[in-house]
Amino acid sequence: MRIPLVLRRPSASRTLAVVLVAIVLFMSALNPQRFPTLGNLISMSYQLPIVAFLSLGMMVTMLSGGINLGIIATANFTGIVTVLVLRALAGEAADEAGVGVALLAMGGGLAAALGIGAITGWLIAYVEVPAILATLAMMTLLNGVNLVITKGYTLSGFPEFLLGVGNGMAWGVPIPFLILIAVVALLAILLKRTRTGLSLFLLGSNPIAARFSNVPVRAVLVRDYLLSSGFAALTAFIMMGQLNSVKANYAESYLLVSVLACFLGGVDPFGGAGSLSGMVLAVVILQVVSTGVNLLRMDPFFIQAMWGFIILVLIAATFLGGRLQERRRLRAARAAQQGAERPSGDARAAVE
Amino acid sequence: MLRGLLRHNETYLVLLILALCAGITLANPAFLTFENVAGFLKSCSMVGIMAVGALFVLVLAGSPDVSFTAIAQVVEYAIAIATLRWGGNIYVAILAAASMGVLMGLVNGVIIHSFRVPTIIVTIATFNIYFGMLYVITAGKLINVVHPMFREFGHALLFPQTSKIGGTYGLSLMPLVWLAVVVVAWFILRRTFLGRSVFAIGGNEIAAERMGVNTLRTRLFVFGFVGLLSGVAAVVHLSIVQSVVPNIIVGKELEVIAAVVLGGASVFGGKGTLTGTVLGVLLFAILNNGLTLLDFSSYWYNVAIGVVITVAITNSAYQQLRREKARVHVKVEAR
Repeated sequence: MRIPLVLRRPSASRTLAVVLVAIVLFMSALNPQRFPTLGNLISMSYQLPIVAFLSLGMMVTMLSGGINLGIIATANFTGIVTVLVLRALAGEAADEAGVGVALLAMGGGLAAALGIGAITGWLIAYVEVPAILATLAMMTLLNGVNLVITKGYTLSGFPEFLLGVGNGMAWGVPIPFLILIAVVALLAILLKRTRTGLSLFLLGSNPIAARFSNVPVRAVLVRDYLLSSGFAALTAFIMMGQLNSVKANYAESYLLVSVLACFLGGVDPFGGAGSLSGMVLAVVILQVVSTGVNLLRMDPFFIQAMWGFIILVLIAATFLGGRLQERRRLRAARAAQQGAERPSGDARAAVE
Repeated sequence: MLRGLLRHNETYLVLLILALCAGITLANPAFLTFENVAGFLKSCSMVGIMAVGALFVLVLAGSPDVSFTAIAQVVEYAIAIATLRWGGNIYVAILAAASMGVLMGLVNGVIIHSFRVPTIIVTIATFNIYFGMLYVITAGKLINVVHPMFREFGHALLFPQTSKIGGTYGLSLMPLVWLAVVVVAWFILRRTFLGRSVFAIGGNEIAAERMGVNTLRTRLFVFGFVGLLSGVAAVVHLSIVQSVVPNIIVGKELEVIAAVVLGGASVFGGKGTLTGTVLGVLLFAILNNGLTLLDFSSYWYNVAIGVVITVAITNSAYQQLRREKARVHVKVEAR
């Protein structure tokens, strides 16, 4: 009889789900008045998409064995370009612009992000610059460009429609959360059901084998970084709605958080492995922890230190878990070998 | 011989630096004066010292350490407070800072070695812990008054001169500390078995282990050394600015790593030179200084650095690509 794969393998996602439930219970017990409430749930689902989109944008590059250090800079650049287009179209009355103008402006921002993604992807795929370097360079460059454009000021004054993307509600659910659900569903299809998605995993686990299996490695890599930049753009639109402003260096601390989310979600930093469900669970865990700790009025820097501790604990747990598994496998193999060589009674005598 | 030179990344860097210097000097002759050069050498010595450590890690692990700025930040704060309370002299301060740095660096080394995880992930974690705890403990309070010995150390000048407007200038001791660090690092990297081991592990860890390299000891040494350099860098920084802003060093880590990478260190490990690293740091410092002298707003600094890094890594990747293509070609002909 075939056992379903999910049950056969100890899945990381299952562990994460257990951890999530435990944390939710723990936080609720610590703060029963404020944590397990509808209001808190809604506020968490407003905040979740920002971290989630950044982490997913990071994840798709890690699947191919790369990384996108420029993701936050790309998001800020998107926001700034969106504002520039908006002001060019609507002038002083940018905050009263209609839906069409807002959409055009967002289109401009998205185009800018995709342009960055295309350049990064080209550098990585065709010039064969290591991803960590190409994106590091792009990050530095974009941070500079963002500062030069904004001169360090905060730009604000957006039309209703644009604010609604990040801040609105539909059928009692925050719009960014709805977008997140739709995007995760699309990404699941892309990763599991399309040629590009499968090629991405192949490419990440063994680029040379992928090339000899007729995978268009370069084209897939470029698409990968385009996708990552698309996630940066999405983040930018939602941030614009929630913060009602753009700036050269918003959300810089999320860079490490998104790497952490990938690590927590079980994405292999060397590429080729990682599950979307693990990522979603990881992001939700991060959000629940940070909201929970925030509600306890803890020092934000303490929270930052705590992230560090959590990574270290995870590293240790993964390592020890792996070792335990290996030992068990070794023991099973040895037992099987002994069983094959002698009758079982002798084997027991030999052990004793 | 020319072709041999062209194969070195350092040659391009030197050419770039010379071109940059010539351009800036033409636009503003104040650039190539003793006063200005001494000034920017002083201001980049902290980054220069940290870059040496970043080079060691990159060669060893092929994955950058990002926690060294947090280590330097914590050490700077601790040393500023400790010297205020207990006094002492600059040598004791450097020794204490270095030992504290070594301890904090060793934490990285132990975790990375025993759990076999990429350096960048562990150091992201320790970065957050060190920096977060620093703010939790100190509440982010600035220190405006530091022990006078840092002022003496930072203001000590070799070849003092009097400038036209009456101030004195000269070669500060800070670049000399940087130079000493580079010389020591060069000796370790090029003249000891330990240094060879660093390259060997970076090239192929399994092969190195079979050759008899003690990976644990080498790794602990490298991360301890990075910590030590962070401690020294902290004292240098403290002596230059004579105050502690608890988030002033943090955030420079990517710039330092970029300088090292610009200097030709491979992000896959096993390759990198001190000359390249020093040149990378100098290039950034000259860019920064040049932009100031040419009256550009400081916002342009990141753009300039970004352009330089992009061009440099594209160039080196392109060279690599051409070399590989050439190699394949030879093989085909041989058949």
